[in-house]
Amino acid sequence: MNVENVIKGVVCPFCGCCCDDLEVTVRNNEIAKVENACALGRAKFERWNEGRIVRPSIRSDGKILETSFAKAVERSARILYDARYPLLWGWSCTSCEAQKIGVELAEEVGGVIDSTTSTCHGPSIIAVHDVGESSTTLGEVRHRADLVIYWGCNPLHAHPRHMSRYSVLSEGRFRKRRGERKMIVVDVRRTATAKIADEFIKIEPNSDYEALTALRMCLKGEELEQESIAGVPSKKFEELIDEMVGCQFGVIFFGLGLTMSAGKSRNVDAALSLVRDLNSKTKFVIVPMRGHFNVTGANEVFAWQTGYPFAVDLSQGYPRYNPGETSGVDIATRHDCDAALVVGSDPISNFPLEAARNLSSIPIICIDPHETATTSVSDTVIPSAIVGIEAEGTVYRMDGVPLLLRKLIDPPEGVSKDTEILEAILNEVRRIRGGR
Amino acid sequence: MELLIKNGYVVDPANGIDCEKLDIAVRGGKIVEEVSSSAKILDASNMLVMPGGVDIHSHIAGSKTNLARVLRPEDHFRDFERRTALTRSGVGHSVPSTYTTGYRYARMGYTTVIEPATPPLKARHTHDELNDTPIIDKACFPLFGNNWHVMEYLKNGDLELCAAYLSWMLRATKGYAIKIVNPGGVEAWHWGGNVVGLDSEVPHFGITPREIVRGLCKVNKMLKLPHAIHVHPNNLGKPGNYLTTIKTMECVKDLAEGASIHITHCQFTSFKGEDWSTLRSGAQEIARYVNRNDHVTIDMGQIIFTATTTMTGDGPFEYILHQISGRKWVNKDVEAETGAGVVPVVYKRRSFVNATQWAIGLELALLIEDPWKVYLTTDHPNGGPFTAYPRVVSWLMSKRARERTMSRMNQSAARKTILQSLEREYSFEEIAIVTRAGTAKALGLKAKGHLGVGADADISIYRINPKEIDPSRDYRAVRKALRRAAYTVKDGQIVVKDGEIKEVVQGRTFWIDSRVPKDLEEKIHRELSKSFREYYTVGMENYFIGEGELARSSPIYVGEAKV
Amino acid sequence: MTRILLRPRKLFKVPIEASAISPDNFAAARKVEEIKNQVVWEGNRPATLASIFDVEELEQGGELLEIIIEGDASKLRGVGKGMGSGTITVEGNAGIRLGEAMRGGTITVNGNVGSWLGSRMRGGRIEVSGDAGDYVGSAIRGSTRGMSGGQIVVRGSAGNEVGCWMRDGMIRIGGNVGQFAGVHMLGGTIVIEGSSRGRIGASMKGGRIVVLGEVGRVLPSFSIEEIRNVARVGEDRIPGPFYVFAGDLADDGDGRLYVSKDRNLELRFYESYIE
Repeated sequence: MNVENVIKGVVCPFCGCCCDDLEVTVRNNEIAKVENACALGRAKFERWNEGRIVRPSIRSDGKILETSFAKAVERSARILYDARYPLLWGWSCTSCEAQKIGVELAEEVGGVIDSTTSTCHGPSIIAVHDVGESSTTLGEVRHRADLVIYWGCNPLHAHPRHMSRYSVLSEGRFRKRRGERKMIVVDVRRTATAKIADEFIKIEPNSDYEALTALRMCLKGEELEQESIAGVPSKKFEELIDEMVGCQFGVIFFGLGLTMSAGKSRNVDAALSLVRDLNSKTKFVIVPMRGHFNVTGANEVFAWQTGYPFAVDLSQGYPRYNPGETSGVDIATRHDCDAALVVGSDPISNFPLEAARNLSSIPIICIDPHETATTSVSDTVIPSAIVGIEAEGTVYRMDGVPLLLRKLIDPPEGVSKDTEILEAILNEVRRIRGGR
Repeated sequence: MELLIKNGYVVDPANGIDCEKLDIAVRGGKIVEEVSSSAKILDASNMLVMPGGVDIHSHIAGSKTNLARVLRPEDHFRDFERRTALTRSGVGHSVPSTYTTGYRYARMGYTTVIEPATPPLKARHTHDELNDTPIIDKACFPLFGNNWHVMEYLKNGDLELCAAYLSWMLRATKGYAIKIVNPGGVEAWHWGGNVVGLDSEVPHFGITPREIVRGLCKVNKMLKLPHAIHVHPNNLGKPGNYLTTIKTMECVKDLAEGASIHITHCQFTSFKGEDWSTLRSGAQEIARYVNRNDHVTIDMGQIIFTATTTMTGDGPFEYILHQISGRKWVNKDVEAETGAGVVPVVYKRRSFVNATQWAIGLELALLIEDPWKVYLTTDHPNGGPFTAYPRVVSWLMSKRARERTMSRMNQSAARKTILQSLEREYSFEEIAIVTRAGTAKALGLKAKGHLGVGADADISIYRINPKEIDPSRDYRAVRKALRRAAYTVKDGQIVVKDGEIKEVVQGRTFWIDSRVPKDLEEKIHRELSKSFREYYTVGMENYFIGEGELARSSPIYVGEAKV
Repeated sequence: MTRILLRPRKLFKVPIEASAISPDNFAAARKVEEIKNQVVWEGNRPATLASIFDVEELEQGGELLEIIIEGDASKLRGVGKGMGSGTITVEGNAGIRLGEAMRGGTITVNGNVGSWLGSRMRGGRIEVSGDAGDYVGSAIRGSTRGMSGGQIVVRGSAGNEVGCWMRDGMIRIGGNVGQFAGVHMLGGTIVIEGSSRGRIGASMKGGRIVVLGEVGRVLPSFSIEEIRNVARVGEDRIPGPFYVFAGDLADDGDGRLYVSKDRNLELRFYESYIE
């Protein structure tokens, strides 16, 4: 009998939009159909079973051998217990419940826990430490924003439903029609999003700081002494500030264009400062476009449990924080770590070359549903259920709104949830240590 | 497990016991008449025994608390706790991490704490953090004073539907009471504005703060909620605001049957004067009103001279504070509901304004005659970290302690405060009222704040002898003893001994399982199903928090609403 | 003078939290045996100094205490933390947070150093023969209190954000610097003998930055004030001529940039703005 079930109000486990209106049809423990998702979310659901790892494995004598869950856990625990400076990395693609166990495990083994924030919006958080942030949940943008600026990000590609759910293409209480809003894109090239904007401002690469500073100067009524800044005529900045000051509710959404170009956290510093200064004239907010669906959750969980949002070093028995020193990429680059646990992430692919190379020379335990470059060089691989499809869990949207992911189908036979795997490793470490 | 606490000097104001040598018997986590001879004996000779502390207002968990943690890594660097065999590591000072929060409260003998300002859309975050806050029992107050649905129902005179909505919301957010922060003002702030008093009109909603407060007060009664509406009035932090506070208290007087309003962190809303240079204390006027009216309770919001962090749902106030102080500023509006702001602050002795604020909090507590109407808080961390409560106790119990602090603070402020002339010194009984018995009563937590049979066995034992010590003179000893409980008992288990954690337990999360008549429930469901996604960017089913999400859910059923 | 020699016994792999290595700390220990038992963290395990260093007392007696570290100390962190007197000499590369929160005394490195050199320094002197990393003389995350006294001299180059949130004191870089030297600076002086990769003085509110080489881009929030022939830094008179800029105007700042006129010909157009 073909039992079909349509589940509504499903939260999508792909990007930081965490759209919660997906309708998923499940048939015979398989995903049959997905509605309301964007191409990215749809792909995750439709291709959920591709490239799956179904058995734990360990590397022995250069060979990869399938093994039992218990043996893989034992080996993982032993590696982490023996390590003097293990790095527990990833976390952005799993649930908060798993992240919490991660913190506990990092504390137990005396290691560093860090999420992909370090390679993404870490600079944004570092800038917040200095400046603060005038922000909001996304619904307020939908209801009120009449000026929407996308700076250094390309939502049409990276957050496809962002505009229709939360900004210029959405309907809000006070903004019913598209015509009531203006959309501006600031970027170094004419992206897909730029093409549909009301206005596109092209700035020179690695010049965002100058552009933002020019805007801050105009806001203060100061003269710009240069004729063009960041490849943009100074007059343009004056016009843009007039628009920003003249709007009722403005928002800047920003992405890696700011965080990963020259200046990094100082680019964000300038953007946060500009928005802060604008509040003396009108209502203005800024929201970072978080990439993975639960990278924000990792920040929240680490922050409330340890006081720090990422790059938390627990090696000395209490939380220490100094991104650049305690962040995963830097630790790997300097070859500080002697073992790594990687959860739902692929640092071998994503890290800079030297960091990836160093990482591949130490024992890695990788927990992931899919085969990746990281699993292929790991010492121990434990397959996990896909959170949001095969396992439930809490996630935090890019604006900090907490939602629940559902379990829609069962994982493949023998595949456990991240929480179960991590709990098992934690217990095994404690057992090795002699019990608590 | 049976426990017998012997020979202690018990202070249990709710049951009329004041420093009597009594034994307290505990079984099954409750206080009982007597126990068997196999009970574990805890010798409390020469020690002070009180019900476990009940903190009615402390920002310990949720979105803005976490925003503050992230904003202020520098707050955590020097104050940290290492992990031990029993305890998790963490960081402290003004925005402690969750484990540290639970341990530090327990070490002081506190066993119940209220997180007083929860944005409903993010209530799940609050509960996530409360779940990770060990030992203490807790509850949270969802914010309603700027909620779109609330404003619309009240504007349309739909009181029943408003009650049904609140009922649904309390269950959806697993909340305990109706919290109101700067009613109408935070909605105005979503456009960058504010309101200036009870009769301002909230832009686009055609309602006034007065109507919001009165409407929610009526709803509170209809739903039979155990705590009065918990209100942070308009104009907080603005010189001259004491008038707004009095008007706010007055505006629900006719709705009184018992307490109908609780004004929180009243110090911040007891300012007289036109501007900062003419700032004066309005505590006398406030106290006079509270003394003459029985429908009001307040908590102090005492400031401590220290570096700390302000955080509140009063978004526009935090922006003003940022502008005045130049300190970094976080703002986080929450769609269709509320907002929050965070700004670091330093309260300096030399500052005329801060010294005046310090005096105001104490004046309130000393001028209000009935200790059952005024409670000890610092509005943690706004006035100072909760770990400073023992210091506040010493100021209440000792004029000498007050004088000492006054002698070292801005002398112009010292001269202008009437604190000099206030001789009153709190007794141990009064301290127990303002930190336990009174707060539990105001909250309607019947099993807390007292040591009668049937109460939860939440007990704090301090290493001071109330019969021998003169707290007026030996206030330092009082402070020292209250900082580190000799014993803290939670549900009958000894969790703290000599200020050290001995056992970690999971505290309960209380919430009101509010009900309305079936037809009304169905009506509100229909209404919300239609409009939810218009108001919010999440669906109704995803907004609702399941009971299983609370680590230790403790629903309180108060009966069906009277609509 | 008491002189203690520390030689790493092995190649360090994991970071070593070595704030125990400080002259005040060693001076408080009366015998070399006690020094050997001082505890550092080797990754997540406490270790005695003797277990990871050969500890030798070269000289004994006298008030002043000198610590010499011979070998690769690049994994040692927090060496000299909070020290108030005495000397540390590193013959080799040094690690992250060398001399952090230092109050007095001297640190000399014959090699390179990691990031956060002299972070929140209050007094004393640090000299590095080679290069430094990022955040020389900076504050800790979230704090506005960077270096507030003392002198840091790096003969080689330094990375980004030299003097971040600096309040007072002197930083001198013999080679080049990265971006954002003097970011959020409140006071003090930074002298860059080489070139910068731009954006110096971003968000500065006070203090002075002198650049003898190429400055890279000058931010639009700096306004030219005058041309000066000499930059006076303490006793030094550094010959110019210099373009003197005031800023950071975006933050209502009143700091000064002294930028070499001859090495920055592309800034000539500013001269037309000088009143």
